[in-house]
Amino acid sequence: MTDLRVKLCGVELKNPVIPASGTFGFGREFDEIYDISLLGAVATKGLTLLPRLGNAVPRIAESRGVILNAVGLQNPGVEAFIEKDLSWLRSKTRVVANVAGSTLSDYEKICARLDGLVDFLELNISCPNVKCGGMAFGIRPEDVKEVTHVAKEAIRKTPLMVKLSPNVESISRNARAAEEGGADCISLVNTFTGMAVDIERRRPILANNTGGVSGAGILPIALRMVYEVAHAVSLPVVGMGGITCAEDAVAFLMAGATAVQVGTANFTNTRACPEIIEGLAEWCDRHGVREVSELTGTLKMN
Amino acid sequence: MREVRATILENRAIADKIYSLTFHIEEEIPIDCGQFCMIGIAGHPLRRPIAICRAEGGRITVCYQVRGEGTRILAEDYKAGETLSVLLPLGNSFPVADGVRKIALVGGGVGIFPLISVLRKYAPEREVYSYMGFRNKAAMCMGYELERGKKLKVATDDGSVGMKGTAVQAFLSDLSENRPDVVFSCGPLPMLRALKKGMEGKDIPVYVSLEERMGCGIGACLVCVCDKKDGTHARVCKDGPIFDLKEIVL
Repeated sequence: MTDLRVKLCGVELKNPVIPASGTFGFGREFDEIYDISLLGAVATKGLTLLPRLGNAVPRIAESRGVILNAVGLQNPGVEAFIEKDLSWLRSKTRVVANVAGSTLSDYEKICARLDGLVDFLELNISCPNVKCGGMAFGIRPEDVKEVTHVAKEAIRKTPLMVKLSPNVESISRNARAAEEGGADCISLVNTFTGMAVDIERRRPILANNTGGVSGAGILPIALRMVYEVAHAVSLPVVGMGGITCAEDAVAFLMAGATAVQVGTANFTNTRACPEIIEGLAEWCDRHGVREVSELTGTLKMN
Repeated sequence: MREVRATILENRAIADKIYSLTFHIEEEIPIDCGQFCMIGIAGHPLRRPIAICRAEGGRITVCYQVRGEGTRILAEDYKAGETLSVLLPLGNSFPVADGVRKIALVGGGVGIFPLISVLRKYAPEREVYSYMGFRNKAAMCMGYELERGKKLKVATDDGSVGMKGTAVQAFLSDLSENRPDVVFSCGPLPMLRALKKGMEGKDIPVYVSLEERMGCGIGACLVCVCDKKDGTHARVCKDGPIFDLKEIVL
């Protein structure tokens, strides 16, 4: 039987499969369907300093092979998460706390608050930067470096994962900027900005007009970006973007990922994550792979 | 809440763009009236949330309107004998307190389907009065189910069946002589708003079942929210789909 354990920034995960932020809440709802302690970790809903209501509805739309969402970071705030969900979630599995802010000070405060309480801090840098006229922190390399540095300075114990936006000039450059800022690990990709239109009403379906595109249709682009980033930095990489089955996860590992996140597939199939974990073990067994970590970065280019 | 493989027994048109889908599931899962399910459609990342009309043993009937590509595929490509991935039962149910004797149902269009589950559970033991609105005669369906109650009043926009007008008008015109203990409603937003206006100051509890575009269907993704009067959001899929009209902003 294949050893599915992986080590990420010195933290051992029982397997490399992590439901992605925003698709899994804090894990309680999916735990009614299967025991979430079988997951490598859970990436929480994006946490802000204060509770947020998010955008108007509709917040979701479907297009061929993909979905678009514009939830707008609805969450109960970091304190409510700590009080109500954190100890339960930690009793189940590793916790990747996704951190969202609109100022540098937000990131600093949330990271300081969660330091030592969770297994990873994952910076969501796709949020609009209030000081930069609403442009996301994750767009310009200098902003990526700065927000990473501020977050890193605020923490002593918990490894820092920076989640990159793909809506940028060069994702490798931004990955290097995060590395220079002190990131311990990179996760990518966040969603691609897109639009879906109701032609009868001549209006975008989403109340927010645009939203983040995710799902199987983005996989080839995400996979290329994961490969590029894994070869641009010397940090471990967590890959995501359209993973729906174990074979997809294997491709991301080969491209250079140490672990993977699974998002949209949780909506299509509530048991997507456990099935990917089982499928990974079977694939590795069939291919004589004794430790899943052996797969990372083994892609041979033509 | 389970994700199950269901076998389709029947999937047929019952009115203009309206289909009735009956499927069988192996395990008998308790389903209460007003709950819904999410049906997976091959090649589509999102399941479609659909109200449950009828659940007897492992035999479940849902009705849906063909609105976009997903429901069109469901109507055209899914035939008896084939399997479906279904997540169910989801959401809360219509609350019927022990002392409730008279129930009024106010439904419009596809909003009649979750209300049929109330008729099936509570008529004839309790007095159920149904006020159902349709666009026209071609859109009307499930008449035999709607007749289970003590009284049925149909309204159509063009007067082709029943009275010319809306379900809310039909209901309100009866209200003075036939005061229900509770009102359950489901239908388009303008209908629910008209009902809300008509029920102002009446001191009769009104519960409405809401429709919204959904992601996970189980309360995790926070996609399908509605505004509550206290300034917070509720999840339509998990905290609803049925809400006390007093507590939400329509």
